[in-house]
Amino acid sequence: MKCDLPRELLSGYLDEELNEEQLDWVKKHLAQCDACRKELEELKKLDEHLRSAAIEEPSREFVFKVNRQVMEKIRKRSRFSIFRFSPIFVPVAVAVLVLIVLINIPESSKPVDLDHRVLYSESEVRKDIAVKLPEASTARKMPLEKGIAVKKDKSIVEPSAPIVAKSKSYQAAEQEVAGGVYDRIDADEFMRTVSLEQIEIPDDRVVRAIIDTHGVVVRVATGNTIIPERDTMLENRLQGQQLKPAMVSGKKAQIYVDLTRMKETKECTTQQ
Amino acid sequence: MYNSIESDEVLIARVKKGDCEAFNPLVERYKMPLYKILYRMVRNRDDTEDLVEEAFIKAYRAISRFDIKRSFYAWICRIAVNNAINYIKKERRGQVQSIGVVEYRLTAKKGNPVAMTREKMLKERINVALAKLPDEFRMILVLKVDEEYSYEEISNILKIPKGTVMSRLARARQKLKKLFDELEV
Repeated sequence: MKCDLPRELLSGYLDEELNEEQLDWVKKHLAQCDACRKELEELKKLDEHLRSAAIEEPSREFVFKVNRQVMEKIRKRSRFSIFRFSPIFVPVAVAVLVLIVLINIPESSKPVDLDHRVLYSESEVRKDIAVKLPEASTARKMPLEKGIAVKKDKSIVEPSAPIVAKSKSYQAAEQEVAGGVYDRIDADEFMRTVSLEQIEIPDDRVVRAIIDTHGVVVRVATGNTIIPERDTMLENRLQGQQLKPAMVSGKKAQIYVDLTRMKETKECTTQQ
Repeated sequence: MYNSIESDEVLIARVKKGDCEAFNPLVERYKMPLYKILYRMVRNRDDTEDLVEEAFIKAYRAISRFDIKRSFYAWICRIAVNNAINYIKKERRGQVQSIGVVEYRLTAKKGNPVAMTREKMLKERINVALAKLPDEFRMILVLKVDEEYSYEEISNILKIPKGTVMSRLARARQKLKKLFDELEV
């Protein structure tokens, strides 16, 4: 009889990997084919030989040193595990370091564009100067200082009152509201949003702030330079207060403002 | 220090927490089983020893992804086998190692050939036949016959269709049988 059984099926039968149809076919074939039964037995023996095949013994060096070799490599790797588990660690660390360095560079050491800086050459000794700034929520309703156009009832007008007043009481402020100085702000709103801050100004210093392009006070310092570590309390008081966006030469710009002089200063001047 | 009776789970949990020393007992525990599997595949002692070491290093690197509920031995076996397959494909490019070297090493340890029993001679024949077998046939035979992986598992390991696993195993057996018969004295 001619044997037509594919060898794959005989091998699959040995490995018990045939589906039902294939299994039926092989079983029926084996029942009537002596050659395939013989070959199946030989394949079984071959598998047994394969399992019992001699394995060359490993070297003594491997037996005694593989642990040490593996562990040395693992320990070496573990020392740098923080870099391994955080692929973004290095760029983030570098960015943070650069940021720290930039923040700590004294303002005076940075190149300054004089066109975008308001300078005050004189320093006047002042004490107990009250600085009043509107909070962000009312900033658009409040008339702003410095002679720059101020929004009032959605129209642009010149400011009629400076933002800084010396030792004003809430009553006085209310009177100003009643007198129409602060147009369209009722008394309750004014009390809630406007406060009078008593700021002790050192005799030999001025108070300066950086106002960003949106008019928000971003940094405050007493002295000639802006140093974050210093004057933190003062900065915390004023930071986030909003003034009119700084306009220099018709463009929005970050500028320095001398808060101690805001009372008298009617108009900012840019020093060329 | 870690004693040898601590379970794989305990040791792996410590390794995952950053205690790399807990990996040492695992190396001690599985270096020989891995050596035997890999030796059957590559049939070269020096290569096998290197591959065992590599398998442990790769397993350590991937330990954070290991599911502690699974068998560590099965997991590291898979890593070792895959690594050996890549090695054979890339490094040896299908070359079979010198049969003379294999025969010398096997015979040299057994003393006088005259005293060899029939069983030992059979082992000698199968080893020489295995050494002559192409790598792809030997790998698939080791995975099926020695390691008893299913066709599905072999298909995943070797990245070949299940049908190819069946046909390649059949051809591997036929080829090995032919080589084995040719060595009969």
